[in-house]
Amino acid sequence: MSSKLMSEELFADKKTGFFIYLFVEAIMFTTLFATYLIYTPPQTGPYPGELFEWQTTLFASLFLISSSGTLLLSEKGLKERKMKLIVAGVVITFLLGAGFMYFEIEEFRKFITDGHVVSTNNFLSAYYVLVGLHAVHVTFGLGWMIVLLVQGRLLPFNLFKEKHKIFNYYWHFVDAIWIIILLVVYIPYLF
Amino acid sequence: MEFSFNGKSVFVPTDVIAGWLSVLIITPIVLYIIIKNRYWSTILDYTTTTNHRKIGTLYILFSMLFFLRAGVDALFMRTQLLTPENEFWVFQGEKYNELFTTHGTMMIFFVATPILIGLMNVAVPLQIGANDLAFPYLNLVGFYLFLTGGTIFFLAFFFNAAPNMGWTAYAPLSTDSYTPGPNNNFYIFGLQVSGLGTIFAAINMMATIIRLRAPGLTLSRMPLFPWATLITSFLILIAFPVLAIALLLLQFDRLYDATFFLGELGHPVYWQHLFWIFGHPEVYIIALPAFGIFSDIISNFSRKNVFGYTSMVISLTLIGLLALMVWVHHMFTVGLGAFSNTFFAITSMLIAVPTGIKVFNWLFTMRRGVISMKAPMMFALGFIPTFVMGGVTGVMLSSAAADMQFHDSYFVVAHLHYVIIGSTILAAFAAIYYWYPIMTGKILDDTLGKWHFWLFLIGFHLTFFLQHLAGLDGMPRRVYEYTQEDGVWSYNFISSIGAYLMAVSMLFFLWNIIKTHRSGAKAGDDPWDGRTLEWSVPSPPPEHPFERMPVIDRRDMFWWSKINNKPLPVAKNPRPSPIARRTFQPMFLAGSLFILSFGFIYGWVWVQILGGILSLSTFVIRAFSDERTEAYKREEEENEQ
Ligand SMILES: [Cu+2]
Repeated sequence: MSSKLMSEELFADKKTGFFIYLFVEAIMFTTLFATYLIYTPPQTGPYPGELFEWQTTLFASLFLISSSGTLLLSEKGLKERKMKLIVAGVVITFLLGAGFMYFEIEEFRKFITDGHVVSTNNFLSAYYVLVGLHAVHVTFGLGWMIVLLVQGRLLPFNLFKEKHKIFNYYWHFVDAIWIIILLVVYIPYLF
Repeated sequence: MEFSFNGKSVFVPTDVIAGWLSVLIITPIVLYIIIKNRYWSTILDYTTTTNHRKIGTLYILFSMLFFLRAGVDALFMRTQLLTPENEFWVFQGEKYNELFTTHGTMMIFFVATPILIGLMNVAVPLQIGANDLAFPYLNLVGFYLFLTGGTIFFLAFFFNAAPNMGWTAYAPLSTDSYTPGPNNNFYIFGLQVSGLGTIFAAINMMATIIRLRAPGLTLSRMPLFPWATLITSFLILIAFPVLAIALLLLQFDRLYDATFFLGELGHPVYWQHLFWIFGHPEVYIIALPAFGIFSDIISNFSRKNVFGYTSMVISLTLIGLLALMVWVHHMFTVGLGAFSNTFFAITSMLIAVPTGIKVFNWLFTMRRGVISMKAPMMFALGFIPTFVMGGVTGVMLSSAAADMQFHDSYFVVAHLHYVIIGSTILAAFAAIYYWYPIMTGKILDDTLGKWHFWLFLIGFHLTFFLQHLAGLDGMPRRVYEYTQEDGVWSYNFISSIGAYLMAVSMLFFLWNIIKTHRSGAKAGDDPWDGRTLEWSVPSPPPEHPFERMPVIDRRDMFWWSKINNKPLPVAKNPRPSPIARRTFQPMFLAGSLFILSFGFIYGWVWVQILGGILSLSTFVIRAFSDERTEAYKREEEENEQ
C-alpha cells in the first residue's frame, strides 16, 4: 500500500539496484587489490618505491577527495531545488576530477617514457590494471557530468534529481576506491 | 581441404566446411518459414520488447539452440570414443580439444546459466505479484549481452578458431605462449560479454524481489523458486565479478604481454584460485534455481504444501554461504598443504547436510500427497535419485586423500554430469513443461513428454554411470583415444549408445514443441490447478497481469482462496509498476560490443576504437531517451495543480 509518489517509489527501486551494482564493482576492485598484493613487491625491478613520487600522489588525492566535498553543493541544490547551485557543484567537481586525471595521466606518461610498461614486471601489470581501471571510472564520471549538465535542462526535475543522485553515489564510490588505492598501492612504498 | 586463394593456399578442415554448408542450407529454410508464415511482426515484437515473460522465452529459446550445438559436440566426442583407437572424421588431437572445450564452456555459460535466468524471468515476477522486473530496459540489455557473448563464442568454430584449452582455461596453457592465435580470445570475450549480462540479470532479480513483492507477501511467505532466485543472485554478484577480473587479467597476459599467469614470475595457480572462486559458486548458481523449481513442482503435483518450508529456506541459504568457501576442493592435487586440503574437504562435506535436508523434505512433501504423474512431476521424480547419486560421488571426491586418485579421471566427468544434468537440465525440462502455458498459452503433449523423459533418463544413466567405472579403471578425462588393453572399451561403447539415446529423446521434445505449436490446443487458465500466484493470472498473462494487485496473508494463498472459495483480496492503492517502452537500443549495444570484441580477438585497433565509440554512444542515447520522462512530467503537472 503506497502513499508515496510514483517518482519516489521508482527512485527507491533504482537506488536499490544501483547499490547492488556498486557491490559488484567493490568485488571487482577487491579482486584487483588482491592481485596487486600478490605480485608486489616483484621478484625483479623496478620496485614500487623507486617509481612513485609523493608529490603526484598528494596532488591527485587532494583534487579527487575534495571533489567529493564539492559535490555536496549539488546535493544541497537538489534538496532546495536551486538549479544554479546544482550546476555550480557539478562544474567545480568536474574541474577537480579533471585535475586528478591530469596527475594520473602525467604519472602514466612518465612511467611509460621511462620504459616501465605493462609487460615490464608483474607489479607494473597489476598497477596498470588496478589504477588504470580506477582512472577509467573517473573518466567515465567526467563524461557523465557533462551529460548531467545537459539533462538538467531537458528532463523533468524529479527524473533529473534521481539521475543526479545516482551519479553522486557513483562518484563517492570511485573516491572511496581511491582512498583504498592510496592505502594499498602508494603509501606503503612512499616512506 | 586445401583451397588456393589469391595464389596462397589455405587449409580449411572438412568439419568447418560442413559447418558453413549447414549454415547455407539452414538459413534459406528458416527465412522461407519466416516469410511464409509472416513472422516479421512477432520477431519485431520479441526483439524490442522489455516484457519479462517474452525476454524469458527468448533466453530459453537461445539456450536451447546452444544446447543443440553443444549436444552435437558431445555426440562427436562420444563417436570418437566409440571403439579403441577409433579415427572418427577429424576429431583427434587438437580438434578433440576444441570439441570438449566448446562443449563444456557452452553448456555451462550459454545453456545452464541463461536457461535458468530465462525461467526466472518467466516465473519469478508472476510468483511474487510483480507486473514486471524492476528494470525492464536493463533486462533486455542483459539478454542481448548473453546473446552477443554466446554468438561470439559460437562463431569461433566457423573461423576455424574454436577455443582449445578446456572450459577451465588453466594457465599457463591458456596464455599466448602455449596457445597463440585468436582461438582462446573467443573464450575471453564471449564470457566477458555474457558474464556482464548475467550480473545485470542478477541485479534485476534481486532488486525486484526486494522491492516489488505484492502487499503482504513477506519473505517468509514467498514460494521457494523466488527464494532460490534471491540466493542465486547473491552468488552471481560475488562469483561473476571475480570471473570478469580473471578474464581481464588473462586478456592482459594474452594481448599485452603481461605475465600474471605465466612463467617464473607469474603464478599459474593464481588463475586456478580465481577461476574456482567463481567456478564453485557457479555450480550452485545453476543448482539452487533447480532446487527451487523442483520444490514448487513437487508441491504442486502432490497437492500439498512444501514440507519443512523454513528448513528449505535455511538450507538454501546455508548452501549459498558454504558454496563460497569450498573452491579449493578443485585443487587438492596442487599441493597447497595438509591444512588447506583438510579445511576445504570439511567445508565441502558439510554441504551434504543442507542438501540432504532438502532431499528428505522433497520426499516428505510427496508423502500422503495426491500425486499426479504429469511430465513435470516425472522429471522431478527422476531428479531425486539421480542427484543423490551425484551427491554421493561428490562426498567421495571431497575427501582430499581419495581425490588424489579420482582427480582428472572419468570419475569426475561422471560426477559433474550427474549433478549438473541431474539438477539443472532435468529442472529446465520440468520447468519448460510446467510453465509452457505461461510462456505461450499452450500446453505441451504429456505422452510425448513422458517419452522424452524416459528416453532421456535411461540414456543419461547409460552414458554416465559407466563413466564412473571407466574412471576408477584409470581412464583420464580429455583424451581422444584409448587402447584395447586399457580395458575400458565396453564402458565407452555403452556410454556412447546412451548418448545417442539422449539425442533421440531430444527429437521427441522438439517434435512435441512443433506439434503443440501447430495443433494450437489452448492451455486455459490455471491448467495444473496451481498453488502459487503465477496461476492466478490468465495464460498467457497480459503485459500488466496484476492490474488488481492481490493482498497476501499466507503461503500458497491462491490455493487457499480456491479451496475456501474466497477470491483474493485486492489492494486499494498498490505501489506503481515499473515503466517500460519498446526499444532498439539494447540491440544496438549488442552490435557495438560484437564489433568491439572482434576488434580485440583479432587485434584490429581501428575496429576496437569503432566498437568502443559505438558502445559508449549507447550510454548517451539512453541518457536522453528515458522511458519514464513522460510519466514524470505528468506527475509534476498533477502536483502543481
Ligand atoms: Cu566445486
